[in-house]
Amino acid sequence: MVFNSLSFVAFFAIVLALHALPITWTARKRNLLVASYLFYAAWNPPFVILLWISTVVDWYAAQKLVRAERQAARRAWMLLSVIANLGMLGYFKYGGFLLDNFAALMNVAGVAYQAPKLDIVLPVGISFYTFATMSYTLDIYLKRAKPADNFLDYALFVTFFPHLVAGPIMRPTELVPQFATERRASADQLRFGLALMTLGLFQKVVLADSFLGKTAESVFDGKTAPGAIDAWFGTLAFSGQIFCDFAGYSTTAIGAAMCLGFAMPDNFRFPYAAIGFSDFWRRWHITLSSWLRDYVYIPLGGNRHGELRTYLSLMGTMLIGGLWHGANWTFVVWGGLHGVYLAVERMLRSRFAHCRPGPLALFGFAMLTWTLVNITWVFFRASTFGKAWDVLGGMFGAHPDAKLLLGTFDLLSVGVITAGILFAHWQLRERTLEALVARTPPLLLATVWGLMAFAIVISQGTGSAFIYFQF
Amino acid sequence: MSAHLPAGLRLTASDRPGVAQPVPERDIPSQPWGRILIVAVLLAAVLLALWEVRWRAYGSEPAYRNSDGLWAIQRRRIDEGEGGKTVIVGSSRMLFDVDLDTWERLSGERPIQLALEGTSAAFALDDLADDPQFTGKLIIGVAPELFFTGFGYRRSAFTHYHHEGPGQRIGQWLSMTLIEPLFGFYDEDFALGTVLRRQDWPLRPGDKAHRDVRKLSVSEADRNTRMWRKVETDPEYRELARQIWAQKFGPPEPAMVARLKDALPKELARVAKAVAKLRARGVEMVFVRAPSVDQYLDFEHRAFPRETTWAPLLAMTGVRGIHFEDEPTLQGYELPEWSHLAAHERPRFTEALYRLMHLPAASPPPASSPNA
Repeated sequence: MVFNSLSFVAFFAIVLALHALPITWTARKRNLLVASYLFYAAWNPPFVILLWISTVVDWYAAQKLVRAERQAARRAWMLLSVIANLGMLGYFKYGGFLLDNFAALMNVAGVAYQAPKLDIVLPVGISFYTFATMSYTLDIYLKRAKPADNFLDYALFVTFFPHLVAGPIMRPTELVPQFATERRASADQLRFGLALMTLGLFQKVVLADSFLGKTAESVFDGKTAPGAIDAWFGTLAFSGQIFCDFAGYSTTAIGAAMCLGFAMPDNFRFPYAAIGFSDFWRRWHITLSSWLRDYVYIPLGGNRHGELRTYLSLMGTMLIGGLWHGANWTFVVWGGLHGVYLAVERMLRSRFAHCRPGPLALFGFAMLTWTLVNITWVFFRASTFGKAWDVLGGMFGAHPDAKLLLGTFDLLSVGVITAGILFAHWQLRERTLEALVARTPPLLLATVWGLMAFAIVISQGTGSAFIYFQF
Repeated sequence: MSAHLPAGLRLTASDRPGVAQPVPERDIPSQPWGRILIVAVLLAAVLLALWEVRWRAYGSEPAYRNSDGLWAIQRRRIDEGEGGKTVIVGSSRMLFDVDLDTWERLSGERPIQLALEGTSAAFALDDLADDPQFTGKLIIGVAPELFFTGFGYRRSAFTHYHHEGPGQRIGQWLSMTLIEPLFGFYDEDFALGTVLRRQDWPLRPGDKAHRDVRKLSVSEADRNTRMWRKVETDPEYRELARQIWAQKFGPPEPAMVARLKDALPKELARVAKAVAKLRARGVEMVFVRAPSVDQYLDFEHRAFPRETTWAPLLAMTGVRGIHFEDEPTLQGYELPEWSHLAAHERPRFTEALYRLMHLPAASPPPASSPNA
């Protein structure tokens, strides 16, 4: 079930009521576990089996791993976990993609081969929970974490509904200890959690779905190539949409967990005010970028084996990051471009190590970062390279006689929302949301909260899925 | 990839490379949250009440939303033992014009209403042809500009039905229980984004004004649908609805003509294939061309002449067709915006259609009609 649905409102109300019952902590955790399975089953009940497989395999592998005395045995159990998780992910997410590419390769080699059509349905959130469960065995293998004391805590770590389908991607050390002792939200935690949920849903339902999504669709899903203004505004619309959609989800998830007395990590830190790409990736989808850093980039060698190896590790990590988002070469190109930006930035930083740019130059670098991030979103949003070239061509004046795809309202709403996002990110670049809220007059907070709630209701979202569910 | 953290920020996993990430800490800003919540709830409630009053004054009334979820409920009736019943497919004319109450009174059976506005009946035919549980009777609405082009504004309904999860079903039930019967504002036309988008914004240089189809109907829980009273009683709104249709009445662009020419044989073949499958299962079918009048009818005559559309359809499929231009009892109705019957006309039209359908089948009409 999605957060922006009536079924979630009813579900969450029941979960909150059950969590407030005067019963044992173990019983309340069991309630949360069952609720989380129901939350997942609301999409497609049979896929709960995949969740169970992932949960049981990693629990068993971690138990064996921790008891194994020989390094080879430890490695074998760790590999079992990785292969089981990546195998499941590979089949469901990349099965068709791999087969299509194999067929294309065979045809290039002169072998007439037609790939069978695999009608595989992608289980929602599989990329997220497989990464979360893998981090459990990997952290134990790397001796960063101890196994959970009991299966209930571990299963709840994997399945806890606020983070289950679209993150933040939790590490065991972040969540399992929270299940050890009784947790119940204070009145203020509950209220602030609800405020965060309202903010997250406002971003998703009002900004992303009601205003930005339709504009991005007109440009990226249209039959004709866009002109310059339409291409830029369509891309800016998607840039805002994906932020509001995904950051909105994360904020709602953090709020939901807070209402239950749990803390979840930040997943976004006002990324459109980033100065440079390493800064961007410390602010955008933090739990994925740090996961890739800890479990891919560093094991690949990180920056410990010379310049060339560092660049290769960086590039490899970003290509994998791109592919994680979807089984399409456009995502790989998106990841690859970010890899190139990071590599170039690294080179420039080492060459100009003593250079201390002033505020104006920093602002210029930030705008350059933001512009390149936007241009690169084209590959992320376009379903084919043909469409990506259409939009990129449009952005740089290749279609001066193109038919107009966007109306005045589209341009106006994208302009206003984009400016608002940029302003907010710059205001909060070196602060937390909580710091801003603490200094805001209560009446203004109440007014903004009430207006956001009103806007959510009258936007009449029809429970459209969050973009990242498909990943 | 390590980071220098500016002062005042909360640490995240970005700042802690290669180590176990600790339990996150989240601070609660010091504020009177109880009072803030009360004021926020009151403000939202007052604004919502005003919003409801505004749309009630505009003419809206609580009704069931003609959503994909509502359509899926009716579609599931076929899976749940009602596959032998009469099913209505087609587009908005079959949806608005046929009165299920009248049909039930005449036949003793309430049909399953599966017509979808702006959508060719071919999508429903494909879907039902592949469903062995459907063995009943099929009334197939033919709105020329949709049927012969394969246009599918509501195609999403089929995807929704085939992939609807339990969460969506529960959400649909909650919506139909707690929201739709109570609130007039809960309609796609009155959603914030739609309302703002439909204001009279100045046009971009070189842009042509184009207005989307406005709310025209009101639905009951089983999709028994009638024309919205405002279309009938508000001359300004009715004129707007007509002008929106009139946007397409001008000479078609060459690219459009080429597309139509290309689509026609494909759509006829597609329908013939589905009809053959259905016939093999013993499904009784009838094509119905519901009335349109004035400028709309003129447009349809020009763009979709009977001899090149309706006649080949009947010839290729061998299915009986009822065309309003051939039947005096299907003529002379009030169609406020030229395309759909006024609500009060539905019982008379439905009864006339029912009687015609239950006459002995005649041979298909000639390819050219005196009215075409």
